Amino acid sequence: MIKFSKEDVEKLIKLAIDNKIFIEGPILKMIDTDDDSLFETYVKDAIENDQENRRKRLEITKQIQTQNTQLTDNAKENGRLMQELKGAVEKAQEAKENALNDLDVVQRKSQFKLIDRIVTVALWIIMGVGIITTVLYAIALFNSTIDTTLLGSTWSNLFGILLTNSFSIIGTIMGVKYASEASPKKINNE
Amino acid sequence: MQMIKSILLVDDETLFHLVFDDACNILNISLSLESVSSADAAEVLFKKYVNDPTDKPECVFVDLNIVGSSFDGIELVRRINFQYGNGVVIGIISSSCDQIEMAKAELAGAQFWIVKSDDIEPRLEQFRDDYDGYKNRTGIFKVYK
Repeated sequence: MIKFSKEDVEKLIKLAIDNKIFIEGPILKMIDTDDDSLFETYVKDAIENDQENRRKRLEITKQIQTQNTQLTDNAKENGRLMQELKGAVEKAQEAKENALNDLDVVQRKSQFKLIDRIVTVALWIIMGVGIITTVLYAIALFNSTIDTTLLGSTWSNLFGILLTNSFSIIGTIMGVKYASEASPKKINNE
Repeated sequence: MQMIKSILLVDDETLFHLVFDDACNILNISLSLESVSSADAAEVLFKKYVNDPTDKPECVFVDLNIVGSSFDGIELVRRINFQYGNGVVIGIISSSCDQIEMAKAELAGAQFWIVKSDDIEPRLEQFRDDYDGYKNRTGIFKVYK
C-alpha cells in the first residue's frame, strides 16, 4: 500500500477542490488513507471520477471498434464489387472487340461481293460484245457484197483486246473469291 | 477475492487493448495491465522471464489469431506452458467459438476461453469470480460465452 504525507494529502485535496483534478489509474487502489476521513472521501471521489472517465472512454472505444468493423466490412464489400465491375468491364471490352471484328468481316464481305458483281457484269459485257462482233463479221463474210478487209483487221484487234481483258477480269474474280473466303479465317485466327 | 496483480494481453487489435484495460479497471480485476500486439513480442518477454521472473505477469490473455505474428495464439499458449515454464494463469480471448480450436487450446494448456464481443464485461466478471480456481489449478477449462 502507498502512504502519502499530510502535506501531500492537503495539496491533493486542494487541487481537487480548486481545479477538480484527481489522481487517476490503478494507483488509487493501492492508497492507504490511514483512516483520514477527508482523504478517504478524496480517494472515493477520485475512484468514482476515474471509473466514470473510463466508462465514457470504454463506450467511445466500443463505438469506434464497431465503426471500424463496419468500415472493414464495407471495404471488403467494395473490393468485391470492384472485382465484379472489373470482370464486367473486361467482358464488355471483349464483346466490343468481337463485335468490331464481326463488323469488319461483314464490311469486307459486302465489299468483295460488290467487286465480284462488277467484275462478273464486265465479263458478260465483254463476252456479249465479242459474240455480237463475231456474228456481225460472220454475216459480212457470207455476204459477198460487203468488203471485209477492214472489218477483218478490226475484228481481229477487238477480239485480241477482249481476250486480254477477259483473262485479266477472270484473274481478278479468282483473286476476289480467294480473298473473300480466306479473310474471315485469317481474322478469327488473329 | 483478491485482484490480479498483473495481466498480459496479447492481441493485435490496439483498440481492444483500451477496451480491455478500461473493463478490467472498472471491474477491479487487475492492478496493472501490459499489452503487446504480437505473439513474437510475447515470446520475447517470456524468454526473458525464464532468467528473470520479476516482471512476470500473473495472468495472460492471448488472442487466437494474432495478425502480424509468426504463430497463432494456441501455439503461444503451448510455448508458454511447455517451453518457457508454466506458472501463469493463461487462456484465450477471441471472437471465435470454434469447438475444434477450443479443444486444441485446452490441449495446449489454456485454462479458459473468453469469447470477445461488444459486451465483454459480464464475461470478465464471471472470469474474475472463477479466477482463484485457475490460480490454484483446481478450475477446469471453461468457455465464457
